[in-house]
Amino acid sequence: MMLGHVLYVGVLLFCLGLYGTLTRRNVIGILLSVEVMANSVNIVLVAFSRFTHNLLGQVFAVFVMSLTVAEVVVGLALVILLYRTMRHTDIDEASQLRH
Amino acid sequence: MLEQTLLLPAILALFLPLFTALLLAVVVPIRRHGWAAAGASVFTAVAALVAAVHVFAQPNDGQPHVWSVTWLQQAGAEIVAFGVRVDGTSASMLVIVTLVATCVQIFSLGYMKDEPRSALGRYFTYHSLFVFSMNLLVLAPNLLQFFLGWELVGLTSYLLIGFYYQKPSAGYAAVKAFWITKLADMGFLLGLLSLFLVSGGFDYESTLQPQAATVVTLCLFLAVMGKSAQFPLHVWLPNAMEGPTPVSALLHAATMVAAGVYLLVRAFPLFAQAPITLNVMLWVGSFTALFAAFVAVVQTDIKRVLAYSTCSQLGYMVAAVGAGSAFTAYFHLTTHAFFKALLFLAAGSTIHAVHSNDLASMGGLGKKMPITAATFGVGALALAGFPGLSGFFSKDSILEALAERGAWIPLVLLLVAAFLTAFYMGRTYILAFMGEAKGNAAHAHESPSNMTGPLIVLGMGALSIGWFGHAFAEKVHQDYHFEFGGLGAVASLLGLTGLGLAVTLYSKRRHQIDQSPFLVGLASVVNTAYVDRLFVSGFRGLALPLAKGIGWFDRYVVDGFINLTGWLGLATSRQLKRLQTGNTLDYIVAVVIGTIIVLAWGVVS
Repeated sequence: MMLGHVLYVGVLLFCLGLYGTLTRRNVIGILLSVEVMANSVNIVLVAFSRFTHNLLGQVFAVFVMSLTVAEVVVGLALVILLYRTMRHTDIDEASQLRH
Repeated sequence: MLEQTLLLPAILALFLPLFTALLLAVVVPIRRHGWAAAGASVFTAVAALVAAVHVFAQPNDGQPHVWSVTWLQQAGAEIVAFGVRVDGTSASMLVIVTLVATCVQIFSLGYMKDEPRSALGRYFTYHSLFVFSMNLLVLAPNLLQFFLGWELVGLTSYLLIGFYYQKPSAGYAAVKAFWITKLADMGFLLGLLSLFLVSGGFDYESTLQPQAATVVTLCLFLAVMGKSAQFPLHVWLPNAMEGPTPVSALLHAATMVAAGVYLLVRAFPLFAQAPITLNVMLWVGSFTALFAAFVAVVQTDIKRVLAYSTCSQLGYMVAAVGAGSAFTAYFHLTTHAFFKALLFLAAGSTIHAVHSNDLASMGGLGKKMPITAATFGVGALALAGFPGLSGFFSKDSILEALAERGAWIPLVLLLVAAFLTAFYMGRTYILAFMGEAKGNAAHAHESPSNMTGPLIVLGMGALSIGWFGHAFAEKVHQDYHFEFGGLGAVASLLGLTGLGLAVTLYSKRRHQIDQSPFLVGLASVVNTAYVDRLFVSGFRGLALPLAKGIGWFDRYVVDGFINLTGWLGLATSRQLKRLQTGNTLDYIVAVVIGTIIVLAWGVVS
């Protein structure tokens, strides 16, 4: 297994996540896609760590995981609040902050 | 110790009237009450007079005593101070101002008693403000504070000329006085600015380059011409007679118009450095003295006679300074303050009795109003230079100064003016006080004692002040020798001839003389309306188009530029705000595109 293969997977996952983020209208879907992007970065970090024998990348991956957990907590809380006030989770409808 | 006994009364004399003026201006019930305001104002004037006499009576070592606080400073260095400066000149002027102001305010108690009470309160508020402004100017330690007082007396002059504001002519006269003097005050401002540019300060005693001195003093002299009613800027003074007569006595005869001459005396160290300016002053002053005397001969309004006489006498003073003799000008200012205030107040007393300014409706008042007639006579004789009275000494010393300078043509002009002065004062006295009383004059009564009292005080001053020339000169540390020489004899003879001519012409045929072809022709030649027309056409032809042009530039170019920047900002933001859609996905797209651009830039470079 080459470094290149793993990086292809990472890039593919990142693009999938980005595509999902840009096309989803449901907030929960967007949140999931953002998670996919974060994990694609994790894959790249771990791959580099593995092929260069440097543990720093893995340490960083653990950091990213704990950060994404925190992010999801805040994000889901916001989603719940959004649902409570608007009775839906459609991001296109939630544009009141423009005014 | 000397500092305190000198400066504290001077500071009191300055700020007490300000306090009263503010009190009357702010506390409306006192002002509306009228008599309370009058009492406060007169009390303040008397207090200021006592303080001024106290300052004047202190022994004087010839050094100015200054109390001041820093007004403006730059980098810790004082540029200009605000305070009082006491020396012989300012101490004596302080006494003159407060004494005449006190006399005039007491006189006003009788003269203005029929006014509505609120108008009376307004009147005395202005009077207190005037005493403050005048003292501010008199005690000024530098030219900038002098300018402040100068503008404030201009303001009170405007307010008091327009006192009967229901009368359109009074409003017109007030605006005219303000307009002409402000035009001249531009000169003061320019002079101050150029003085500051060349010397870095506003001192009376700066030493300047010859050209700089000429520019500065010519600018200052323009302001003096406006304030002291020198030809051709004298046109406002006759109209200023629309104000109440005591106001004319105080502002437009004794003190405010003399402020111009006081400036010349005060800043004489500056003027002495500019021989060109002195020459201009010599000629303007002597011409004004003669011209105004001619005009005074043909006036039928008693106040206008006195107004033109004031112009004429101020011309004497300006010419004296022009001849390099500031002291004689100052001496004449002092004697003139006494006898001209006296003449105006006495004229006010007759106007009060007859209810008219017109000499034609007076006559025979001598028997009805003996005190007024006697004091007016004393003032008229003093003005005419009758030997032994105050005007004689000061006028004579001015003539001597001109002779010493060798200014023969101005001297002749002034001698002719002296003759005319005696003539028109004789004419005025005869028309007002002698002959048969008719109309209102037949029922005239002597004025009450609060009006005759000030007349007697000023009359004694007009009688005696001339004899104190030496003591006065010592006080202001100037040389003064009075000798009754050939010139004095000529001047006295001319004066007596003028009086005699007036008596022979007017005592018999009275008003027929005024209808004689010679005087009617003279009236049409020396008519002030020509000068007025000059100002109006100058205003329409020059000032208005200039102002319109500047207005256009300001409105469309200066304002246009400012408005353009504002409009640009608005238009840009109107376009930019479309970017804010409120749609989260749009923002994410923006973030992604931004990231790609940054990355691409990193790769390329």
